Amino acid sequence: MSAELESLRPQAEAILAKYEQQRAAMLPLLRLVQEHQGRISPEAEEWVGRLTGVSPAHVHEVVTFYTLYHQQPVGAYHIQVCTNITCALRGSAQCLAAISERLGIQPGETTRDGRYTLSTVECLCACEVAPVMQVNDRYVGPITHEVIGTLVAQPEQLGSAPLKFQGTPGLVEPVISKRFTLKDSHTIEAAVRDDAYAAARKALTEMTPQQVIDEVTKANLRGLGGAGFPTGKKWSFIPKDSPEPKFLVVNADEGEPGTIKDRYIIAKDPHRLLEGMIIAAYATGAHKAYVYIRGEYVEPARILQQAVKDAYKYGFLGKSAFNTGFALDVVVHRGAGAYICGEESALLESLEGKKGFPRLRPPYPAISGLFASPTLINNVETLAFVPTIIQKGGDWFARLGHGKSGGTRLFSVSGHVQKPGLYEASQGVTLRELIEAAGGVPEGRTLKAVIPGGISAKILRADEIDVHMDFDSLLAAKTMAGSAGVIVMDDTTCMVRALWYACKFFAHESCGQCSPCREGTGWIFKIIDRMMQGRGRPQDLDSLLGIATNMEGRTICVFADAAAWPVQSYITKFREEFEYHVREGKCDIGSEVRSQMTGVSV
Amino acid sequence: MPDAKPITLTIDGKTMTVPDGTTVLQACEKAGSPVPFYCYHPGLSIAGNCRICLVEIEGSPKLQIACYTRAAEGMKVHTTSDTTLKGRQDVLEFLLINHPLDCPVCDQAGECWLQDYYMQHGLYDQRFNETKIKKPKAVPVGPTVMLDAERCILCSRCVRFTDEVTKTGEFGIFNRGDHSEIGVHPGKTLDNKYSGNVVDICPVGALTDRDFRFKCRVWYLRSTNSVCPGCSRGCNIEIHDNREREWRPHIANGERVMRLKPRYNPDVNQWWMCDAGRYGYHAIDENRLAHVLLRDGGAARQGRWEEAYRRLAGALEPLRQAGRLTQLGVILSSHLTNEELYAAKRVCAALKAPNVVFQRPKSGDHDDLLIQADKSPNARGAQALKIPEGALALLEGAAGKQLRALLVFGQDLVELFGEAKVRQAAEALELLAYIGPHANKTAELAHVVLPGAVYAEKDGTFTNVQGRVQRIRQAVAPWGEAKPEWQILSDLSSELRLGLSWVDPQLIFEELAKAEPSFRGLTYAAVGEQGAMLTG
Repeated sequence: MSAELESLRPQAEAILAKYEQQRAAMLPLLRLVQEHQGRISPEAEEWVGRLTGVSPAHVHEVVTFYTLYHQQPVGAYHIQVCTNITCALRGSAQCLAAISERLGIQPGETTRDGRYTLSTVECLCACEVAPVMQVNDRYVGPITHEVIGTLVAQPEQLGSAPLKFQGTPGLVEPVISKRFTLKDSHTIEAAVRDDAYAAARKALTEMTPQQVIDEVTKANLRGLGGAGFPTGKKWSFIPKDSPEPKFLVVNADEGEPGTIKDRYIIAKDPHRLLEGMIIAAYATGAHKAYVYIRGEYVEPARILQQAVKDAYKYGFLGKSAFNTGFALDVVVHRGAGAYICGEESALLESLEGKKGFPRLRPPYPAISGLFASPTLINNVETLAFVPTIIQKGGDWFARLGHGKSGGTRLFSVSGHVQKPGLYEASQGVTLRELIEAAGGVPEGRTLKAVIPGGISAKILRADEIDVHMDFDSLLAAKTMAGSAGVIVMDDTTCMVRALWYACKFFAHESCGQCSPCREGTGWIFKIIDRMMQGRGRPQDLDSLLGIATNMEGRTICVFADAAAWPVQSYITKFREEFEYHVREGKCDIGSEVRSQMTGVSV
Repeated sequence: MPDAKPITLTIDGKTMTVPDGTTVLQACEKAGSPVPFYCYHPGLSIAGNCRICLVEIEGSPKLQIACYTRAAEGMKVHTTSDTTLKGRQDVLEFLLINHPLDCPVCDQAGECWLQDYYMQHGLYDQRFNETKIKKPKAVPVGPTVMLDAERCILCSRCVRFTDEVTKTGEFGIFNRGDHSEIGVHPGKTLDNKYSGNVVDICPVGALTDRDFRFKCRVWYLRSTNSVCPGCSRGCNIEIHDNREREWRPHIANGERVMRLKPRYNPDVNQWWMCDAGRYGYHAIDENRLAHVLLRDGGAARQGRWEEAYRRLAGALEPLRQAGRLTQLGVILSSHLTNEELYAAKRVCAALKAPNVVFQRPKSGDHDDLLIQADKSPNARGAQALKIPEGALALLEGAAGKQLRALLVFGQDLVELFGEAKVRQAAEALELLAYIGPHANKTAELAHVVLPGAVYAEKDGTFTNVQGRVQRIRQAVAPWGEAKPEWQILSDLSSELRLGLSWVDPQLIFEELAKAEPSFRGLTYAAVGEQGAMLTG
């Protein structure tokens, strides 16, 4: 074993000490190795295997599953340009071409001097600053000619993309975004000045766990990761008299294209999340919490880590939170690049140091989750609403919403709007109101289509936008609220190209476990890709619909369904446009984007 | 679960009762409505990834996988409804789009579950019109197994086998989506004592056996149930021999047995066998004694069976008449069947020859899964027949001229005790006879060599280390002029006019089961395909 790896042992031991099981240290140990060696070699895999108690083949599985691990070294500046749909709508293809030309390398290549590696990636979840790229740890966007100039000349001078909250259309007062506009809102000092942790203190000192659950149930809070499951109900599933330890796991693996909200919450108000976690842990009897944060979110993870440290210092976490005797430890655990890990059971597998393969159910996580113990998993935003619910009451929160979807939520609006970004609004806001709040489509264009809830949601035509954005209204409109990632497309959008981006994403992100999804996502993408090249056949459209239907509902998790829905909805709602493509071998739209929106001209 | 309450459910209109905890797949099998499966294997954990076992369950909006779904009270399952059949067909289409369809050059052809299920459940019109994904082909992943990643359906059976059964963890599925592929860690190989089993459990042609590869099309094979003689575990096996040998003598240069496959026995080997046993079949055709050999002072010459029997009788008769059969030693082997050991015991009893022992081969490796240190199949049988163990005293007695004649069955005493001892005995003895299937150093020193049969050439029973009596069956005819040892013993007793003769191992067994307390009441019917425990 090389001395270089052995020199990392003290750090490795410290990582291992955080986890109940050695194997759970897999992802951070691999990151440790990569940070020091620039890549993960087979020898390093063996070393990590010995530390985690698994065979080298299983370490290699992990290394090849997650996109953030490299088997070969990358350049000093690793440029990862987002090529998912929202960035594409705002000119990422032109940006990529321009960067490629300036550096003289194609995606996947490294400059001869080892300075730059250029890659394409799927959604970085920074759609408000599209087209966006990640340069090493930093998000940079929107990409303009000026940005590209800096990238090539002085990459160390690149600034991070701004975090600008866009507002609260239709609300009397902000709820979850209340501190977003404060100065240094991410610091514990600023948060505490704004009453942070008062709700947690109240819950722990004045309420029983059952009272907390009752309040959350009354609030009609729904799972805001996208599934919309009633939160109070989920909490009540955690067994009260379990002999095993219970865990709280926070799903901060934001990845649904078109969604940016969790990154804002963590970067701008991490203490709201921590406070929500303390309350949730208290309500369910968990004494250990993990925040599984998306691997690309380097800066947010740092902010959260600092917030955790400060919360310990203030006595809000640790052996006796708020001096009540209630113990809670929090570990920030970083992912490594796999959309599927946002699926809760895949997230648990990943957290346990494996590939992100969704689990067969039952048992559900509430009974057998992390390390086979009862586990509550909630999304960042869901938990971040809890402190306000405890303070102002479930009824108050429920009234802010619409129907059985209580409260407000964060809407990420991106694509062809004048003011893309994050908005907080009532669950009852209409899609039209949101698009208007975001400035509507650019001058001289008309609205063509909208994806209301992240790339998985079925698309809506321009005449379908008077729908309320709560879970049940969108379900009735045969789409879904999902993660509330609203992607707007104007009349310059080619729907075949738009579907091409969606299908590319799903083919890239299918974990490969179940045969229908593994084979179907790739097959669908190949057909659309052929169509885009002008080689579509008349029978292709029905084949696509058939393949999508054959995938739907036939797999362990709903990823295959999510991959099927865009295919079904785009082709059904814009069939003529698809038929034109097949018939004429080209698009009737012209360009799919207006490149001037980004300042990059072709 | 002894206290589990029964569950009543309906499968294809047929109402049945199963214990709680039964899966729908198991219940369907029991109901005579089997569902297809790839990833499911009863000896491994449930992966639920192939999706071919989807069935319609009333009240459930989606098709459910039968392998993981537990049978529930009142459940109504449909395995032949249009929805179920469509689900299967769709899954097969997905599994085959990137499959290379290289059946003509695939060793699995003829026993491939993709072929079988396509004919049963596929039969759709091909609509895949894209370029298939290329993956590594014909990659040796270890000394025994060849990988073709393009043929793989990623069912993960092999991964679960090396994780859960051998716990060696060699296999993994790398990458994701449709670029996923099976492999071993870069620089590592699949090299464990049970590696060949991954070929058996691979339902397709992804993992093929390097030993068997391209030797013989599987439809030329004939299968005979038997028991592995490689150690005292007695793993149940099938012997696959080339039944077309007469017409296709070129196959594997005329080798008769093409391969061994493990046969399920829950009490012995479950679904598995070790590589030593699996590839041990080469001994069936290697280094065999084909003829009677007689050695009169000088070089050996080929003889006839009658001559050999006369020679043996010529040495034994004077001892018998002089009442000095204490000067005969008989060294039996734990490779002999129960029937042969019993026949030998009877012959010696009739001769009033008391010096009868059995000898095991050299001990070898062992583990907690199947492999036993005793590398012979029937030591327990010899013990049950109350035959004393250990040849050394007799060999030394022979060297010390306390014996006049020594019959050695099967074991190579030179290998066990050194050449000097055996040579000394051979020189001191009037008759050293060797009876066994393989040429060895002991046979080289013997005055008379009688070619015996290997296990694959005879019927009979072995008693394994657990005391389980199990059947072996003749798969191929004895090599050259070789005869099964029970036959040799029968012939010899005729020559000696002992009034003992047998025509069939089954009849010997019937006699044995009456005479020997440990076997009392056993019959071939009772032993059946899965064996029966010694009764005393």
